[in-house]
Amino acid sequence: MEAPPVTMMPVTGGTINMMEYLLQGSVLDQSLESLLHRLRGLCDNMEPETFLDHEMVFLLKGQQASPFVLRARRSMDKTGMPWHLRYLGQPEIGDKNRHALVRNCVDIATSENLTDFLVEMGFRMDHEFVAKGHVFRKGIMKIVVYKIFRILMPGNTESIEPLSLSYLVELSVVAPAGQDMVSDDMRNFAEQLKPLVHLEKIDPKRLM
Amino acid sequence: MQREEKQLEVTLEALISQVADLKNSLVSFIYKLENEYDRLTWPSVLDSFALLSGQLNTLNKVLKHEKTPLLRNQVIIPLVLSPDRDEEIMRQTEGRVPVFSHEVVPDHLRTKPDPEVEEQEKQLITDAARISPDVAQKQIQSLNKMCSNLLEKISKEERESESGGLRQNKQTFNPTDTNALVAAVAFGKGLSNRRPPGSGGPVQSGQPGTGPIIAGASGMQQVQISGAPTPQQPMLAGVQMSQASQPGIRQEFAVCHGSKKPM
Repeated sequence: MEAPPVTMMPVTGGTINMMEYLLQGSVLDQSLESLLHRLRGLCDNMEPETFLDHEMVFLLKGQQASPFVLRARRSMDKTGMPWHLRYLGQPEIGDKNRHALVRNCVDIATSENLTDFLVEMGFRMDHEFVAKGHVFRKGIMKIVVYKIFRILMPGNTESIEPLSLSYLVELSVVAPAGQDMVSDDMRNFAEQLKPLVHLEKIDPKRLM
Repeated sequence: MQREEKQLEVTLEALISQVADLKNSLVSFIYKLENEYDRLTWPSVLDSFALLSGQLNTLNKVLKHEKTPLLRNQVIIPLVLSPDRDEEIMRQTEGRVPVFSHEVVPDHLRTKPDPEVEEQEKQLITDAARISPDVAQKQIQSLNKMCSNLLEKISKEERESESGGLRQNKQTFNPTDTNALVAAVAFGKGLSNRRPPGSGGPVQSGQPGTGPIIAGASGMQQVQISGAPTPQQPMLAGVQMSQASQPGIRQEFAVCHGSKKPM
């Protein structure tokens, strides 16, 4: 490996631990346009980028209580893009000062036989959905506004229906571990989207 | 001695200027009431009252100021009383007091309040002395509480009335939806047709024992990339255990796993 980026934590193993900092919120369909206008103004100047992705979540159940989760994502509208495999760890129980949800994150691009590979490994698909929306960038921050569609028949991505009347808004940064000032930048950006959207740290465990 | 005199002089100057301001605002208020009464609005009247109140406040502050000598200890004695018109006094009082005589002096130089007022004050003092300190304290507290309640009600009303107008058409997000969407993305609540939403429990938590940071990453490395021997066992242990529990499928996997492990 070439010189790895400088981090505050000792580098062990072959790569740097990347953490995902996340803030989430939602916006109703009727207010989507105003949000997109505002984001277009606030974010880096680039062509508005839309996406249509199909995500499948795979579980590996061991004899331990909690299974191992992997997320496989493919693009449905862009040809030639690799599949994306992602692992997300448990949210770090940080102090209250941290404004964003922080969890370990590993992202890998893979070839198209990913699902076969995972199934051979023993993973089973738990659920899948289609995500359609827009993506914006501001520096290292990525803002994704997308609608989640439920797939009515497993494997058939044509018959889908929206899950709710809102779009999910996610502000995320993938950065090496230990850079907590990132969450301050995220919070400042989130302030600019109020009162249209309230981006906040939502603990998924609370929603179970 | 001299310092006290100086202080007294300074205080008197301040008092005179304050009282002059007060007088001016009173004059303008009276003029407004007498001449513009048909066009007068309540906010304008309130403004005048507020001005007067502010000026009285400053006057009080001047009197309470630490550099003010105790005026109570000073005595004013008229030195000369004459029934003749006095031009000086006429000028200084803007024609209101033409003569500094026996009739004028008791009114202008009085220090005691009116007899009725004095009666009332004495009554209040005896009442206050009669009740015990605890009762007095309780009364004070209840007064404070009522005042703060009232203030709160007023401010809440004010806040709600101005935001209520905006809120009806400005609801841009729905917190319930937020929660539903986050739950769907995090562990598939509402997405999977096979699994009822209630048993979403085991799905959410990732790998056993890996919790934060390093463990998960290096666990993943083991599978994907040729890596150093991982300190993290549970990941592979999980795989091997699943093999053990599914003997039928195991046969095909044995080769795969066998070849994948040192990958």
